[in-house]
Amino acid sequence: MIELLMTVFSATFFVTVIRTTTPLLFATLGGLISDLSGALNVALEGMMLIAALTAVIVSVYAPWYVAVLSGISAGAMLGALMAFFHLRMKADIILVGFAVNILATGGTVFALAQATGGDKGTSINLPSKGVPSVDLSFLEAIPVIGRTLKSLLSGHSILSWLAVLLVFAVWYFLYRTPYGLWLRGVGEYPAAPEAAGIPVNKVRAWSLIASGALAGIGGAQLAMFNYIGFTRDMTAGRGFIALGAVLLGARHPVGAMLAALLFGVFEALAIVMPNLFNWIPGELIQTIPFAVTALALVLFSYRAQRALQRRNAAKA
Amino acid sequence: MAPLLEAISIGKTYPGGTVANDGVNLTIQAGEVHAVVGENGAGKSTLMKILFGIEQHDRGELRLDGKPIRFANPREAIDNGIGMVFQHFSLVPSFSVYENVVLGSEPRNGIKFDRQKAIADVRALSEKFRLAVDPLPPVGQLPVGQQQRVEILKALYRDARILILDEPTAVLAPQEVEELFVAVRALVAQGRTVIFIAHKLPEVLEISDRITVMRAGKTVGSVNARDVTEDSLATMMVGREIALRVDRAGARGPLACEVKNLKIDAENGSTIAKDLSLKVHAGEILGLVGVEGNGQAELLETIAGLRPAADGVIALDGADLNDLSVLQRRQLGVASIPEDRIARGLATGASIAENLVATRLSDKRFVRNGLLDLKAIKANALALIEQFSVRAGGPNVAVGTLSGGNMQKIVVARELSEQPKLLLVNQPTRGVDLGATQFIWKSLTKARDGGAAVLLSSADLSELLALSDRLVVFYRGKIVAAFVNSDDLTAETLGTYMLGLNTQDPETMRAALQ
Repeated sequence: MIELLMTVFSATFFVTVIRTTTPLLFATLGGLISDLSGALNVALEGMMLIAALTAVIVSVYAPWYVAVLSGISAGAMLGALMAFFHLRMKADIILVGFAVNILATGGTVFALAQATGGDKGTSINLPSKGVPSVDLSFLEAIPVIGRTLKSLLSGHSILSWLAVLLVFAVWYFLYRTPYGLWLRGVGEYPAAPEAAGIPVNKVRAWSLIASGALAGIGGAQLAMFNYIGFTRDMTAGRGFIALGAVLLGARHPVGAMLAALLFGVFEALAIVMPNLFNWIPGELIQTIPFAVTALALVLFSYRAQRALQRRNAAKA
Repeated sequence: MAPLLEAISIGKTYPGGTVANDGVNLTIQAGEVHAVVGENGAGKSTLMKILFGIEQHDRGELRLDGKPIRFANPREAIDNGIGMVFQHFSLVPSFSVYENVVLGSEPRNGIKFDRQKAIADVRALSEKFRLAVDPLPPVGQLPVGQQQRVEILKALYRDARILILDEPTAVLAPQEVEELFVAVRALVAQGRTVIFIAHKLPEVLEISDRITVMRAGKTVGSVNARDVTEDSLATMMVGREIALRVDRAGARGPLACEVKNLKIDAENGSTIAKDLSLKVHAGEILGLVGVEGNGQAELLETIAGLRPAADGVIALDGADLNDLSVLQRRQLGVASIPEDRIARGLATGASIAENLVATRLSDKRFVRNGLLDLKAIKANALALIEQFSVRAGGPNVAVGTLSGGNMQKIVVARELSEQPKLLLVNQPTRGVDLGATQFIWKSLTKARDGGAAVLLSSADLSELLALSDRLVVFYRGKIVAAFVNSDDLTAETLGTYMLGLNTQDPETMRAALQ
């Protein structure tokens, strides 16, 4: 137990948490945007997976940033595809989302086999690149706290810094710009923006595209930093955990970040615990993030209902 | 001088072949309040949709300031100074008042939404047009009357010169109607023009300068409001004389339903109504009077079994109803015409025939050995469509495609196809045209004459005064007054009790409650 606590309060654990949180956070922000625009994007999982493979394959031939950008565009294109089927062809968004997920599971294995020349499990024999980490060794020069600062802040993926930036960018967009107002209006009561002359379907389409792009960066981070290279089904439910994080974060960017962090912590625990408790089956430990997701959602909805009751009682 | 807005022999045929407008003429002068009246299905809404660019006309011409014009979408109409307030508001509930007003035309500061300017603009606007509303609270928390003001402000914010109000009074309480009329007059005084779509003729006569009457997709004519009476207007609308009068009950029968010391709680535990005691006899209509939200609707729901009674007794012919399910109550002879026909009265996606037997699936005539007898169901539908003169394409048409009046007739037909012992009626003619209103009133009095005890709640006082034999007034969940209906009883008298301005002495009340 003491060992566990020591691990949890170490700087390396913090770095692990940031690493596990980053892909989740991107996907959560993506889920948030589409959710607020009125479309539950269940395809985050598939988008991440396809973006991850795209980024890995492109990184073999191009610099890392081109690879990340191609992951983003893969996600965005899937978002556009969903928008086309949902908005133009009037298909149900959940079904379209699942179609993308199924396409991703099968399609990535197929594409992986094509790219590696037959390997259907991993891209281990592809010389794929990683996203560089940001070296902040100069912080060490600061007296007293310098060493701690360096061990906490140095060595994160450049995309982790981008994620933090994006949380505030998304917040600013949603709550401080007219387009954010449009997006939230479209999600809550589309008849209102429609009557005001706002192109409702265009707003929805762009939200799905942005959602896909964000999930895409998440996928790129996963396959180019958390792991270097692609493994089949490597997203392992992160897209669905992200949907949970959207709700748990009360559909607010900062809340989404905290929720993603919570799940990140448990994923990190699932990584470090097998070394400490070798008597617990590893499979059991790996279920922790998912069990926590389910538990957190149940607790959240219970609390939300209680709050609603209290508010009604206070009003009456 | 050319009129501000002119529609010249407008024609519109919907893809299904329905001719909604056929040679419609409308001339709106600047600065007038122009009412467009007509029964449901007369083509008013289609005409307004054409004026606002939601639909496009296939024949005829629109002229704005004398110049021909055509709107491809609402945006173009808005840009040309036309604003419309729909019956169903287009407001985002969680957004604040000012956010709703500026949505789509936000003041900006770089890429930033300039909230301070938005708030200031909305304040200035609401002062200028005397539409008092606080810009800050979320719209969802405001009463309906205020939400309507927000809608009007929305149109004014976009500089609407012509404001189309689609049945604005349908959702308002009498006091709110007065406030709306004050605002309408203020708008006209500042040079704006108002087009007012309406059903209720007294209101039309009160507020408008000119009136255009539509019937069956055509304009019947335009008249000055001061030259016509309610009766002559009604005749123009329907095309024949109609008498909105019904015969009062003869002798009332034995006691049918008794409610004793009933207490009703809300889901969150607060008390909605208490100490409700009343008696309804067979063959009489008891009117439940009150501003909406004072417990009348909940009383009807509780008797119907849709809401539990917290305390007290509800008895029908001496049998306690309290522990019975909705279905068991119906089998004892309770019928209910609910307030919201779309949400509670009908399954809008299901057919007319299906809706008409929905409450009678244990009836051997329609269900045999657990299977629907489609032939009998269809025959039943055809008979009721005929009997209640429902205007519909046939028994298999989805109920949701019917007009409000015809939908309501389906509900009434289902509930009255078998003589009920206790009939619960809430807002039977809300949003229903005159012809259908007349028919529904007759159906109710027929059920009464057949021996039903009727409990009737309505926001329309004239309806209550026309139909009821006795009336009880609700105020804050209590019965505060009771009257035996007579020609001397006026809406004004009832109003003073409804608003709690007047109290009745217990003796008089007890006498009228028997």
